[in-house]
Amino acid sequence: MTAPWLAIAAKDLRLAFAGGQGPVQAVLLGLLLVFIFSLSAAPGEHFSPQQAMAIFWLCSSFAVVLIFSLLFRFEEENDTATALLLSPLPVQGLWLGKTLAGLALLALCQVFFFPAALVFLGLDPGGSLGGLALMALGVDLGLCILGGLIGAMGHGQGAKDALLTIIVFPLQVPLLLGGIRIGVGLMQGVPMADLGEWFGLVLAFDAVFSGAALFLFPHVFRGE
Amino acid sequence: MFRIYPRMLTFLAVAAMVLMAVGQYAIWFYAPEEMTMGLVQKIFYFHLPLAWWCFVAFFGVFAASVMVLWTGKEKWDVLAGVLAEAGVLFSGLALITGSIWGRAAWNTWWTWDPRLSTTLVMWFVYSGYLVLRAADAGGAKGARMRAVLGIVAFVDVPLVFLSARLWRSIHPAVLASRSGGLEPEMWTTVWINLLAWGALFAALVLARYHGAGFARRVEAALVRIQEKTLQ
Repeated sequence: MTAPWLAIAAKDLRLAFAGGQGPVQAVLLGLLLVFIFSLSAAPGEHFSPQQAMAIFWLCSSFAVVLIFSLLFRFEEENDTATALLLSPLPVQGLWLGKTLAGLALLALCQVFFFPAALVFLGLDPGGSLGGLALMALGVDLGLCILGGLIGAMGHGQGAKDALLTIIVFPLQVPLLLGGIRIGVGLMQGVPMADLGEWFGLVLAFDAVFSGAALFLFPHVFRGE
Repeated sequence: MFRIYPRMLTFLAVAAMVLMAVGQYAIWFYAPEEMTMGLVQKIFYFHLPLAWWCFVAFFGVFAASVMVLWTGKEKWDVLAGVLAEAGVLFSGLALITGSIWGRAAWNTWWTWDPRLSTTLVMWFVYSGYLVLRAADAGGAKGARMRAVLGIVAFVDVPLVFLSARLWRSIHPAVLASRSGGLEPEMWTTVWINLLAWGALFAALVLARYHGAGFARRVEAALVRIQEKTLQ
């Protein structure tokens, strides 16, 4: 039998791709951002690894907002929030399912962002693809943990959910900084062991916000 | 129901006024001029209390938010809001005074530093929090939503501090060193100004809390009048 939170994640992914759309909006916005930033460099000029990494994470950050807005919109459009709350599934399981679905969609977006950054920003991963994938997993996890919590707050808010972005971006700062520093370090050939402090910071963010989300999600996503 | 404390507000306002006057005297006539930086160093007597009290305000938002979730009482939600207002004001002023000091000491208006970055990110987070409050985001669930944001925002602060610390730091650690490089008269001036700004902070928070309380009484009275009119 599938775990309930896995069932939620699978349901959300099926719905996301049901219309053949998936995270198209997030992918397009990210690609557009990469392209616009690439215009700021003169022809033949390359971005520094730090700039390229920062733009990559900026795209991911915007994608998270769109992805979680989409995931919680499903419950609103289909009016299924109450049904989910009445089901025997622990409400934290719902958060976990949404976080997992968001993580899968964000990883899919980054499959497009990364080559775009290679082409338009001159990002050079060298031989550190494995390290970069590990870094992306750690940072993405944190972004989605926070996205799952804040996305639930936007549920049922109509146009006001866009306002939440003004608080989401500053909250993501430690993660984005970690992602940029680890990415730059790996591309410059710094051994993984020397980036341990930054990995520690990213994991600390993941852990602290997981704890906060487990405690706070039931207060956010509940019936009246 | 909101309780009003007019006597306490009067006492705090008078205390803030007197302590501010004493504090200003201490800054300009009692504390010696610093040898290297000269007159610019006196910004420190404004900057440090502002930074300290803004951290107190943000911790207060966190504590009041926890109380909202725990008790569900509206007064804690209002208190969190007024503390966030005071915190944003004080942290904004701390950033401006710090930037002026940085220009004189480091020859730059801004640099990557744990304290600077943490304060700026906090300023962004709590300014966003105030915008969300003003927009009445959350509707009927508003108080709980705001409480969750108040908790999440404070949980993020140590991580921002750590991240900026890993980046690099040049901010002077006055209180971390044994004497902080300050003369005894300078320390006396620091403590007087900490108290003065603390009294002003408390008076501002209480005044805004009263204002919010009165606004809610008026709203309740208007609802009652409307109900009677409809009957």
